[in-house]
Amino acid sequence: METTTTKKTVKKDYRKLILEGYVNHVLEHGAEPASVFKFAKDLKMKEEEFYTYFTSFESIKSSIWVSIFDSTLEQIEAQEVFKEYSVREKFLSFLFTWIEELKKNRSYLLSLYQDKSKAFKSLPSDTREFKEKFKDFAGELISEGRESQEIASRPVIADRYDEALWLQVVFIFKYWLDDRSPRFEKTDAAIEKSVNLAFDLMGKSALDSFLDFAKFLYQTK
Amino acid sequence: MASKVKEQETIPVSKVQRAAKFISTGAKVGGNYVKHYAKKMVNPSMDKEELHSNNATDIYNSLSELKGSALKVAQMMSMDKNLLPRAYQDKFTMAQYSAPPLSYPLVVKTFQKYFGKPPEGIFDTFTRSAVNAASIGQVHQATKDGKTLAVKIQYPGVSDSVSSDLKLVRPFALRLLNMNEKELDHYMEEVEERLVEETDYTLEVKRSREISEACAHIPNLRFPTYYDEFSSERVITMDWISGKHIKEWMETNPSQQSKNQVGQALWDFYHHQVHNLKQVHADPHPGNFIIQDDSRLGIIDFGCVKVIPEDFYRGYFPLMKKGMVLREDELNQIFYSLDFISDRDTEEEKIYFRGVFKDMISLLGMPFHVDRFDFADDGYFERIFQLGDKISNDKMFKKSRQARGSRHGLYINRTYFGLYNLLNQLQAEVDTTKPEWLK
Ligand SMILES: Nc1ncnc2c1ncn2[C@@H]1O[C@H](COP(=O)(O)OP(=O)(O)OP(=O)(O)O)[C@@H](O)[C@H]1O
Ligand SMILES: [Mg+2]
Repeated sequence: METTTTKKTVKKDYRKLILEGYVNHVLEHGAEPASVFKFAKDLKMKEEEFYTYFTSFESIKSSIWVSIFDSTLEQIEAQEVFKEYSVREKFLSFLFTWIEELKKNRSYLLSLYQDKSKAFKSLPSDTREFKEKFKDFAGELISEGRESQEIASRPVIADRYDEALWLQVVFIFKYWLDDRSPRFEKTDAAIEKSVNLAFDLMGKSALDSFLDFAKFLYQTK
Repeated sequence: MASKVKEQETIPVSKVQRAAKFISTGAKVGGNYVKHYAKKMVNPSMDKEELHSNNATDIYNSLSELKGSALKVAQMMSMDKNLLPRAYQDKFTMAQYSAPPLSYPLVVKTFQKYFGKPPEGIFDTFTRSAVNAASIGQVHQATKDGKTLAVKIQYPGVSDSVSSDLKLVRPFALRLLNMNEKELDHYMEEVEERLVEETDYTLEVKRSREISEACAHIPNLRFPTYYDEFSSERVITMDWISGKHIKEWMETNPSQQSKNQVGQALWDFYHHQVHNLKQVHADPHPGNFIIQDDSRLGIIDFGCVKVIPEDFYRGYFPLMKKGMVLREDELNQIFYSLDFISDRDTEEEKIYFRGVFKDMISLLGMPFHVDRFDFADDGYFERIFQLGDKISNDKMFKKSRQARGSRHGLYINRTYFGLYNLLNQLQAEVDTTKPEWLK
């Protein structure tokens, strides 16, 4: 282990340098760099060196999404209570923690995705890798939920539950981007209510949560 | 079958209680003091059928489950115009729907946000689910260093939704209260101000401490200690007050002496706040009091505190003076200054409302006119309800579109209604003390 660290650190540093350089550029200019060539030059790097780490700006953005996801998982798994949680609670805990991680990168994310028409195209491609990893995580939760009977096994639609949870993640992200409430309290409420709805739909008795959520949207939008 | 009969027999009692509870939880909008629907609930011989499964019960039940500010406003409104017609009731469904409890991950998140630690990191034990629902939050029980604590946590986004909740209720309020928009706004502002305050837990802790210190000398009261280090805008940590709510306590058949002791403590508590502190715990509903084993009265929840402005105080309380109804000139002046009657009224209206208000103050002032008053007297409450019924069925009253009464009166009336009704539930006889100048 020890022997390889030196090599790895050098490697990692470049990767990190690019990631940080990219985020900084977006933060300062409110947009992506004009080209990889220009970006590499700013970082005092050769263009081909850049390609050893990333293939494009898209792949940078993608790995930022993935690293946010990874550190979210790390954090929730470090929590004592997490193991004792029901599946619903696990998913809530995931979203609450994820939103905290997003908060650390809020300006960056706002610059890239605030413009709805642009985000419409870029968001799905930027989050493809994240989505895959998320669906693995969601798949685990769902099978756990089926075992504990929290989630009803329904024909056909039951196979799409991971997709439904993903849509919820996207919904929460968009909600949070527009949230102007102090400490993003409304996002907390949106998470709580939408997850209750989703799990009630997957389980039983959806009506109560649906009304609660509809009322919430009606009042806050 | 037997159980059915039994159920019916108990209706009149529970009906009085229900009416009392209703009045205690709501405030009155406008100067019309007394509630129109109440008589129906008090007088069991009236349309029994209706009573069994009527709107009132439904509405009462759904209202009591409502959470947040819509609850409070809806309660106030239904106080005033009694039974909401079905049609309105349906429209209320959205507002009435009661929110599910906060999930534990959100409780954890809230703690992380304000204290940087989960509940387990702070307390020795902490109940995973709430032990009690509150209207804008929930209460968990915790222990630390051998102490049992109550931890109240607010739902996220409540304080932001006060105004939109009120907007939701507004159109119904307009129609039900028969006021014009400007007049309604006058009250809604007052209500909104109080509701926004109720969501500020930091303020609640400050006020709880202030008032409990200022009332520490009153016998037979018990106030929790509040813990700043575990309290924030959205969390309040205080001592757990063990004991029973009034209704459960009454079921244990306490002695008359105990009932009077609790009632007296309650009266003294309000006397001191109103006449000396000039700020008052303005939410005297049964959920906010806990009676302990030694018949001491525990007081929790200072969410709603009304500060009484000096001129309002000077203008309003003389109405409670004995013999006041006889002093025409003085009375007129007070009615004008409190906006009970104004120059917008026609001559006929002036005469009518002067009569109505006179009837009301002589009835409501009764406990103040004697040294000791027996609140167990259901007949007294019945008279109040009957007067209310008579008034609200009166054409004159229905026609008038004026908001009557100063906005400060809103919460003061609510407070006294609540107080009287709590004392009635307690079946207590108390020394109705009053300041020297009111004697
Ligand atoms: N210190 C305490 N000790 C014991 N029980 C408590 C304590 N504080 C609150 N509770 C319980 O929780 C319930 C709700 O608390 P509280 O009245 O403070 O909430 P709230 O949000 O102000 O509700 P509302 O506005 O409807 O009165 C109380 O009726 C009581 O049963
Ligand atoms: Mg309360």
